[in-house]
Amino acid sequence: MISEYKNILFKVIHLRSIIGYNSLVFSLKKTPIIGDLIPDKLYSTKFLKVIYWVFHIMVEACKLFIGKIFGLGMIYLASFLLSTQYIDHELGQGMSQSVIYGNLGLFCFLIYALCGILIRVPYFNCTTEKEYLVFMLRMDAKKLNDTLIYYDLAKLFIGYVLAGIFAVVTGAPFWLWLGIPVLALAVKFLGIGLQILSFRFKSRLHKSLKISAVAYLIRLALVLLAVPFLIVFIANGYFIPMPQMVIITGLILAAGIWGFIEFLKSDSNLHRRALHDNISKTEVKATSQYDNTKSFKKIKAKGTVKGDKKGFDYLNALFVKRHWTMLCMKPIVFTIVIAAILILLIGEFVYGYFTRFGSGNCWNMVFTNLINIVTFRGYDDALLPLGTESAFQFFRYVAQSHLLGMMIPLSIADNSFKTTQAMFINCDNSLMTFSFFKQREKIIKLFDIRLKQLLKLNIGPVIACGLSANLMLFATGGQSYPGEYLVTFLVAFLLSVMTSVTWLSLYYLFQPFTTSVIAKGGAYRVTSIIIYSVAAIIVWVPLVSYILAPVLLVVTAVYIFVMRKLVYKHAPKSWRIKA
Amino acid sequence: MEFVISHLVKNYGSKQVLKDVDFVFEEGRIYGLLGRNGSGKTTFFNCVNGDIDYNSGAFYFRENKDSEEKLYLQPEDIGYMVSTPTVPEFMTGREFLKFFLEVHEEITPDKTIDEYFDYMMVPEDDRDRLLKDYSHGTKNKMQMLLNIIASPKLMLLDEPLTSLDVIIAEEMKNVIRSQKKGKITIFSTHLLDVAVDLCDEIVLLHNGRLEPIDKNDLGDAAFKDKIINALRDADNDQ
Repeated sequence: MISEYKNILFKVIHLRSIIGYNSLVFSLKKTPIIGDLIPDKLYSTKFLKVIYWVFHIMVEACKLFIGKIFGLGMIYLASFLLSTQYIDHELGQGMSQSVIYGNLGLFCFLIYALCGILIRVPYFNCTTEKEYLVFMLRMDAKKLNDTLIYYDLAKLFIGYVLAGIFAVVTGAPFWLWLGIPVLALAVKFLGIGLQILSFRFKSRLHKSLKISAVAYLIRLALVLLAVPFLIVFIANGYFIPMPQMVIITGLILAAGIWGFIEFLKSDSNLHRRALHDNISKTEVKATSQYDNTKSFKKIKAKGTVKGDKKGFDYLNALFVKRHWTMLCMKPIVFTIVIAAILILLIGEFVYGYFTRFGSGNCWNMVFTNLINIVTFRGYDDALLPLGTESAFQFFRYVAQSHLLGMMIPLSIADNSFKTTQAMFINCDNSLMTFSFFKQREKIIKLFDIRLKQLLKLNIGPVIACGLSANLMLFATGGQSYPGEYLVTFLVAFLLSVMTSVTWLSLYYLFQPFTTSVIAKGGAYRVTSIIIYSVAAIIVWVPLVSYILAPVLLVVTAVYIFVMRKLVYKHAPKSWRIKA
Repeated sequence: MEFVISHLVKNYGSKQVLKDVDFVFEEGRIYGLLGRNGSGKTTFFNCVNGDIDYNSGAFYFRENKDSEEKLYLQPEDIGYMVSTPTVPEFMTGREFLKFFLEVHEEITPDKTIDEYFDYMMVPEDDRDRLLKDYSHGTKNKMQMLLNIIASPKLMLLDEPLTSLDVIIAEEMKNVIRSQKKGKITIFSTHLLDVAVDLCDEIVLLHNGRLEPIDKNDLGDAAFKDKIINALRDADNDQ
């Protein structure tokens, strides 16, 4: 049995290597200048094929380690850093760094595994090599799928065990090291089981079970589950309750066992049908690429622009009006969610106070602190004085020195990328054929108008983030220097400006979209990755707000200046329809 | 005024689409750029319009053939009408025209917006509807109207009559004819009859080169066969 799997695996890797080699030669032949120099003979050069095969094996080995280790390693790293911070500031009763590390690690992994990549198993995806082997060379579909899945699971398990060494060395409990790989396997089998179930339903009912809808429901349930954890985590600052996580883990393990049973029960016919079905889906997808633009075509015809707006101002105002839902929904939803969380936290605090000290005292506390807010002071109360324990200091430290962290929620709320897509497909794509649209002065004029518009769209999230940070500051003693509350808002605003300028400039400098709204172009991707990487590092840099704000102000001003210059210089050539 | 194309070359990888385009277009004439599907007509227009880069060569205006001064093309010199009209779909026809007139501060409109619509025969009930709901023909008319208002020196019309109904095609032909004065119009098509009917000169784009057809032959009965044979030969050469 094992030797059979080994043979199949060898054939797949060999075939992948051939496909990869031929694709490489093909794309090289299509490259300008280099392509002319490459003879057709290269397709059949055995020596180079062997070199590529060795290279392919090395890539497989790298994938085995780097991908898995990196994914889980980030979770462990984050858990380690957070648990270290907690040890510095607060150690709840009965807690140790190891326990907090374990809780955080398991919590982050559950979110990562179930909301993200792990549950999506490409079990029935019909890749090129599967198509050749099953439908042309008549290989047993189940054996092929099983071989590939065992191979993937083995890679996953080994990668995770290796990543776990880092966790153990940095103080994680032993159960986390071996428990996470086992849990990952369970999640994978759950994904497999769901897919088998989907295809089994299909053959019975001649109708496919909407696996994506199921996945969305699972995610929604998990997000809802995560909310109380987060609130407890933020409000108490001690630890994430373990019993609930143990229950979820147990459920996942049980679901994983169910998936494994389904996996064993599935027969070759089902596998063949599922693969065949996925070939058809791929073909349909390839011929209906235009559907990508569908979501951008929901233009509301109602209303027009009132007032004396003219030219590009008029164009922009109409664009926003007709795309209101598309452009504003995300920042509005974000703002509402943040507002709801803040109200919940404040409500929880006030309710707690009310039950302990009665309504009279409660009203007195609320009134006094409302005045404190208006007069830019901090929380103050005789019955429930400001906490002195180090958890408070931790939150104060975050609110004063880690304001760059607001870049994360602000990026989540930011809708600039989608806005540039809508700008291209519904506006610029057509206007680019007119000469006036390619004149420098007009390009930069519209760029400025659009930048202001993006800033306006982000104002809700900026206020929400600034308010959250300021509430943290208020609850932990108020501002340390006059104007600190305003500085926090300023920092949030400047971070939002940076995000908007980046997306808009990248759009003007690389124009990556095709008429199917697909982002293409290596330069755009590489630049985005570099910017993301730099931002991911900067976000962790501690800097007190009175230094951060002026520095950020200068950097933002210089950044806008440079980007405008670049757009002015290059956009007439770079901002055009992709051939 | 003349529009000179000098040894223009455009390659896509190893494939030479425009091999050596060398030609002089004169003011006040409509040139029918005739070529088979895939012969490079759109590529030629995209190069001139600055939408894609070309490998070598140049193009410019000059006053006459004795003039030494080369006037390189500015974006406002070109009007480009693509075969599949793309218009900003979130605007109504009236809003689009208003916007267009406002951004062209240098233009003093000689008509009101409704008069422009009347001139292009845009139906009244279409004028305040979103452009996304316009028919292909009316979108084409809008595109043409804007190019007429901008009044560029060089008009590039890339198969503008393709898939228009007979009436709209005829209306468009009349508009193109009425606008030829003072500008150079290059009209690409793969339909021989359209080219013969509308154009003052016919230029064949085949084998990556432009070749004029003697205009005296336009009325010749054997002319059609001659062009077809020329295109066929070119295909065999390739």
